[in-house]
Amino acid sequence: MLKGAEIVLQCLRAEGVELMFGYPGGAIMPLYDALEDSGIRHVLTRHEQGAVFAAEGYARVTGNVGVAIATSGPGATNLVTGIADAKMDSVPLVCITGQVRSALIGSDAFQETDVFGVTLSLTKWSRLVRSIDEIPEVIAEGFHWARSGRPGPVVIDIPTDMLKAKKEFSGPVKFMPHARPAEAKADGGFTDTIVAMLQQASKPVVLVGAGAKLSGAIPELRRLLDDLKIPAFATVHGLGAIPPQAPYYLGMVGMHGTRAANTALHETDLLLVLGARLDDRVTGDPSRFAPHAKIVHFEIDPAQLDRVRPCDLAVIGDLADTIPAFQAELRHHTLPDFSAWRSVACGPERAELDPRGLAQPTIRFLDELFSRLPENNVILADVGQHQMWAAQRFRSASPRGFITSGGLGAMGFALPAAVGVQLAKPDTCVLCVSGDGGFQMNIQELATVHRLGLPIKLVIIDNKYLGMVRQWQQLFYEKNYAETDLSDNPDFVEIAKAYKIHARRLNEEAMREFPVSAETGDLIDSFLRSHEPELLVFDCHPEANVFPMVPAGAALSEMLLEDEPTQ
Amino acid sequence: MQAFQIHYRNTQGTLMRILNAASRRGLDLHSVQAVAVDRDHQVTLVLEVNQKQVGQLYREWYSIADVTHVRPVAAHGDAWATAHPPAGVSLEDGRSAARA
Repeated sequence: MLKGAEIVLQCLRAEGVELMFGYPGGAIMPLYDALEDSGIRHVLTRHEQGAVFAAEGYARVTGNVGVAIATSGPGATNLVTGIADAKMDSVPLVCITGQVRSALIGSDAFQETDVFGVTLSLTKWSRLVRSIDEIPEVIAEGFHWARSGRPGPVVIDIPTDMLKAKKEFSGPVKFMPHARPAEAKADGGFTDTIVAMLQQASKPVVLVGAGAKLSGAIPELRRLLDDLKIPAFATVHGLGAIPPQAPYYLGMVGMHGTRAANTALHETDLLLVLGARLDDRVTGDPSRFAPHAKIVHFEIDPAQLDRVRPCDLAVIGDLADTIPAFQAELRHHTLPDFSAWRSVACGPERAELDPRGLAQPTIRFLDELFSRLPENNVILADVGQHQMWAAQRFRSASPRGFITSGGLGAMGFALPAAVGVQLAKPDTCVLCVSGDGGFQMNIQELATVHRLGLPIKLVIIDNKYLGMVRQWQQLFYEKNYAETDLSDNPDFVEIAKAYKIHARRLNEEAMREFPVSAETGDLIDSFLRSHEPELLVFDCHPEANVFPMVPAGAALSEMLLEDEPTQ
Repeated sequence: MQAFQIHYRNTQGTLMRILNAASRRGLDLHSVQAVAVDRDHQVTLVLEVNQKQVGQLYREWYSIADVTHVRPVAAHGDAWATAHPPAGVSLEDGRSAARA
């Protein structure tokens, strides 16, 4: 006879879970009571949001399912932002929440929340367990949905009496998916059509999204791009999929994308979208998105098609299947010479890549940091101006090397997510870049970093503002800086020291000379090479802005390239 | 007005997910009728919806784990003549009707 909690843990082990993140409380206590002999390592965070973001970090960098545990009521509701984040960014995540005992459900009992209802629209699949007998099937099915197709979040809510009850347990089960409706899947016929479209095109481009890395089709993608040799760019989650040295690579596209990428996307007459859902931050005004282009959309999730702009050809399926099929067909044909278009499209990008041309000290700082990183590294960015600066300067060919909350844009993501990344990749240099606003949203996880001795390199870009909001206020709200002033920030160096984490400060004046002084270079090197957790606070000009910028509702061609009056 | 018939396995939350696909878009659910059909369930929805939303709804419904089939049906006939719940009925009217 095993308790329900022991059955849960055995089923998790059977799904390959070795690490999970959580925070105990009343209803989930039976699960914690059974943890010790489970063979699963549990990491205590200092807030449930820290746990779910850490689980996301682990999942994003490994591709495995992340697991977060919380108790009922406030424990469960504190997971909600992470669940929404996982839904938006296609992160495989299973959240297990304790619930009040079955007899009390619906009675507004202490710490009772309808977490099943609260998370219904945010999850890919969820269950409130009604019997101890259901536990093996529910966990097997939950993991199936979390990792299958377009990955996403799953919630399994277990009343505390189910965790305490005992039953004979014959072992974990395998979930056999039910017959699904016949979905339109690419049957191979699409390849002729795309080749014909390419042969008629004069300015084709490729847009790569997160689907490329989620499908594990990076080698296939790179071979295809090498064959096509047409301008290519990436969404924020597609960064790293295309080697930045590739002569056809134009960097990031979208609201803060490069001038070259946005211009090429505006001018193209054939857009091949590979595993991107074309959200509004990528398209700008959808009615003026790629206005001259036919669109071919490779996508695993049919629900993502035609949301913003109808495509001319949908190729539904896993990129690991559809790209090789396309490439095989391509080899039987001769394509037009696109070199003239490529040299026009790629022209301006070279200047943007040269750090000497970058007057903005924060960008210079990030360039300097990134260029001095050990080869084996992962960069996390929180949400805001620093996120976009980091994305613009990211120049790694590692598909899972840049991790950020893209779709939801959840401030406070990066620090706890870095915990998950560092635990998954103990020999990797994990660089976590935050703003002064977002850092304070999960600052308590410094305690987790210290407890585990994780050598995470923490950077705060401190402009003493909610910088991105302030930038919008400057550009679009007549400089009415309403409630974005953070000039009374605490001393982050002292805060870090209170958490027993070594910290230092660098002023942006140090970045005004090029190349940087030996002293500044040594400081950055010693920061990055430390085997301990470290914090570096970079004092940034309060009114530094991120450019290029496509104003909300504008076309990509209407990007602002520098501070200028807009109204 | 457009009517849809959605077949689904009646697992926890599946009907709510189907309805949520409409409600998250701010669409008025003019009529909802859910019944058991053989071993599965079927819900018929009547919505004010434009062509772009029809495509979105189809794909989102199909992405729900236990939805098995979606098809459009004619949005006319007596069944759809009255809004459900009747538009403009106050809580007190409803209570009066219940007492009667």
